[in-house]
Amino acid sequence: MASDQPVVEISELSKHYGEFVALDKLSLSLNRGSILGFIGPNGAGKTTTIRILVGLSRPTSGTAKIAGADCVRELSKVRRLVGYMPDKFGSYDNMRVREYLDFFGAAFGIPRRERQKRVSEVLDLTNAVWMQDRYVESLSHGMQQRVGIARTLLHRPEVLILDEPANGLDPEARIEMRTILLRLAAEGRTLIVTSHILPELSRICDQVAIVAGGKLRAMGTLQEVTRTLSQRRTVEIQLLSGEGMQAAAARVRKSLEADAEVTASEAETIIRARTSAGDDTLGELLRAMVLAGDRVGQFREVAGDLEEAFVTAAREAEAERHAAGAAQAGSREVSK
Amino acid sequence: MSGIGVILGRELLALLRSPKVLAILLTVSLAAAFVVLLKWPTTAIVDLDGARGREVFRWITYSMLAASILAVPVFPSTLLVREVRRRTLELLLNSPLSRSSIYFGKLLAMLGFVVLLLSTTVPAMAAAYLMGGLTLTGDILRMYAFLLVVCLQLIVIGLLVGTWSRNTESALRWSYGVTFGLTIVPWFPDALFPGGTSPLAKGMALLKLISPIPGLLQMLNQNSFSGTGLMESRDAVMFYLAFAGLFIVVGSAVCISRLSHALLDRSRSQGYITDDQEGWIQASRRLLYIVDPQKRSKGIPWLVNPVMVKEFQCREFGRMHWLLRLVAGCAVLSLLLTLASARGTESRGVEYTGALIIVLQVSLIVLLTPGLAAGMIAGELEGGSWNLLRATPLGPARILFGKLVSVLLTLALLLCATLPGYAVIMLIKPILQPQVVQVLGCLVASAILAMLISAAVSSLFRSTAIATTVAYGVLIGLFGGTMLVWVNRDAPFGHAMVENTLRLNPMAAALNAMQAQGFTSYNLLPSAWYVAAVSSALLLVLLFVQTLRLTRPD
Repeated sequence: MASDQPVVEISELSKHYGEFVALDKLSLSLNRGSILGFIGPNGAGKTTTIRILVGLSRPTSGTAKIAGADCVRELSKVRRLVGYMPDKFGSYDNMRVREYLDFFGAAFGIPRRERQKRVSEVLDLTNAVWMQDRYVESLSHGMQQRVGIARTLLHRPEVLILDEPANGLDPEARIEMRTILLRLAAEGRTLIVTSHILPELSRICDQVAIVAGGKLRAMGTLQEVTRTLSQRRTVEIQLLSGEGMQAAAARVRKSLEADAEVTASEAETIIRARTSAGDDTLGELLRAMVLAGDRVGQFREVAGDLEEAFVTAAREAEAERHAAGAAQAGSREVSK
Repeated sequence: MSGIGVILGRELLALLRSPKVLAILLTVSLAAAFVVLLKWPTTAIVDLDGARGREVFRWITYSMLAASILAVPVFPSTLLVREVRRRTLELLLNSPLSRSSIYFGKLLAMLGFVVLLLSTTVPAMAAAYLMGGLTLTGDILRMYAFLLVVCLQLIVIGLLVGTWSRNTESALRWSYGVTFGLTIVPWFPDALFPGGTSPLAKGMALLKLISPIPGLLQMLNQNSFSGTGLMESRDAVMFYLAFAGLFIVVGSAVCISRLSHALLDRSRSQGYITDDQEGWIQASRRLLYIVDPQKRSKGIPWLVNPVMVKEFQCREFGRMHWLLRLVAGCAVLSLLLTLASARGTESRGVEYTGALIIVLQVSLIVLLTPGLAAGMIAGELEGGSWNLLRATPLGPARILFGKLVSVLLTLALLLCATLPGYAVIMLIKPILQPQVVQVLGCLVASAILAMLISAAVSSLFRSTAIATTVAYGVLIGLFGGTMLVWVNRDAPFGHAMVENTLRLNPMAAALNAMQAQGFTSYNLLPSAWYVAAVSSALLLVLLFVQTLRLTRPD
């Protein structure tokens, strides 16, 4: 499959549990070799989407395809195309790491000699060779996560779906995990990664999808997503000296809307403003500052962060939920 | 409120909120009422000597003992394991509560449950008292006090086992094992050397008294329950109470001493591997183990079902060296039994020994099978590994086949272990050959049925502990409960009723084939085989449908 062709295609995917809508017409596609950060608040529909993609759950409507194979009708094909690591490790008692990997290799029908080779390969790739004779249940959480990734790689899947791989890891283990994931993407694998550790995701993902309330709120590169969801932008004005800084800050406050947050850091000689002002207003502000004699060294917009976008999406979903609840209550009143 | 009171209140409340406890209390209450109903006078003849009242009293007592042995170990054995796994023990140990107040709080809460359990039989006991022949203090209260001590001992066993076990399944298995080991097993050696004068025979007769059953029988004036006709001259009640008292005190002390942070810091072996050792160590381990559990695995062979291998590997008891030890133990035991039989053929006959081997073997099957099979699906669902299996290309039939074969092979090894004993029986009495073949057929049927019951139960629950308990309950009901009908074979149950009930129990069919005492008048074969085959087929269908349902997308 060519790299510009989508390897994951989700179209109008919905999943209902009785009256509860877990997924509402979610559509997205992902190209080969991408790392998608799939984020959203708890109960947003991330795990439901993932379970449909790996064939553990059936959608109420819509389609999901992995490398052209339908996740409902071509289940056995999909299982060979996907490597899935759930948020719960799923260890077996009294099994050594090598035995554990050997079992899953055998379950995927890999011949013994080839299996031995692949087990060594994936252990090497995940820096887990030294723990091959250890009992799985005796491993720390971080080590188990590495074994979990090694397991997903055994059958050389095209797409890796990792549910919260960095959850509960210490900073060192997180750095290792990041390196492993970047290495896998460099090998041409497509990764879908869910996580609540957003700074971590923003470092490795080239695509981000935010779901909330079962709906896709935004998808694209980090910049695109933050631009779409962030209602305010952060502007930094670097002055060449701290002289007249408070007066400059007052000018900034005056030029922007009343509820704009303006702070002045004397130590950094930077004025920061969080504002919803447009480009024209900001241009006017710069002109006013220069005319007033402020010694402006830099005037720049700081890229919005994922956390803010995440919170905005969550609030949007919450507002929709309240509105729907109110509408329902209203219709009940009317029917009474 | 004192430390003990805090723990007692929390544990007892949690127990009383559990629907399982309500189900157990209701079952025991109904069973006791059923006993009264069976023995209630139907004729207008006045029972002046109170024999009927005493008979009802006896059967209510047996029911209470059976209920205690079956229900009491469940809760204390899993209590500490759960606390360790959920890390709530850490919170308790870091609180100002002392270790002894934590222990006694839990012990008293369990005792509260026992008091409730025993009090469910009070209405039935009152009915027995009204029939006459019983005194309130000399019989009824004395019996309740005795059973309370028995239950206290079982609670201490459960709590003690809980400080060693790593998971609820193993805690249940071990506490049932120790309970059976202290209540039922001490009976058997004495049955082999009844009335002997040798030091060994005397030792066996003394060993029997650590079980509460001889004391209980003495209290019921039923000294010759096993039909030997030999009366127990020692005070079995006092002997047992002294033993149980010592056990409770020592067991409690050990349990309190083990109730520390060490329980939370138990690290596993980091993975000792024979292949990395020196040559002489490798050679000696090969000789010692035959199948060395610490040898690096060469991988699952191409045509072998991977699920079967995985089941063997991840079962503590399934690793080959354990199985070989178990089989060797069974083989030696069966040979000892036949040797004893050969020594006493004049008085007992090989049929008696054959019957003993059958009962022992079925007891072992009942004890081991839930541990092997009841977690096969429930355990995977509970641990989250079922989803990993579902995400592989393995189909439901292959998963099920692998799991069942792993249990069946283990049980087959157990059955094979007693073949030397049966071979000696056939040597002593060649005429028994066709009967022994029939017995083996019945034992195979027992093993398959026990396995399928446990596996089917496993597919219905998401908790291994619940599945294991239910599987034990069903198996004991099938293999032991049907024998209760046989015990009442003269009244109230007629011959046909007893025969039909015994057809459900392949162990009874084996005893019938062996022509054991009390089973000669029934004709259970081959109909018992047909019943076992049909039941097994139905269970297999249920199991497959459940597995199919659980592997399909939700």
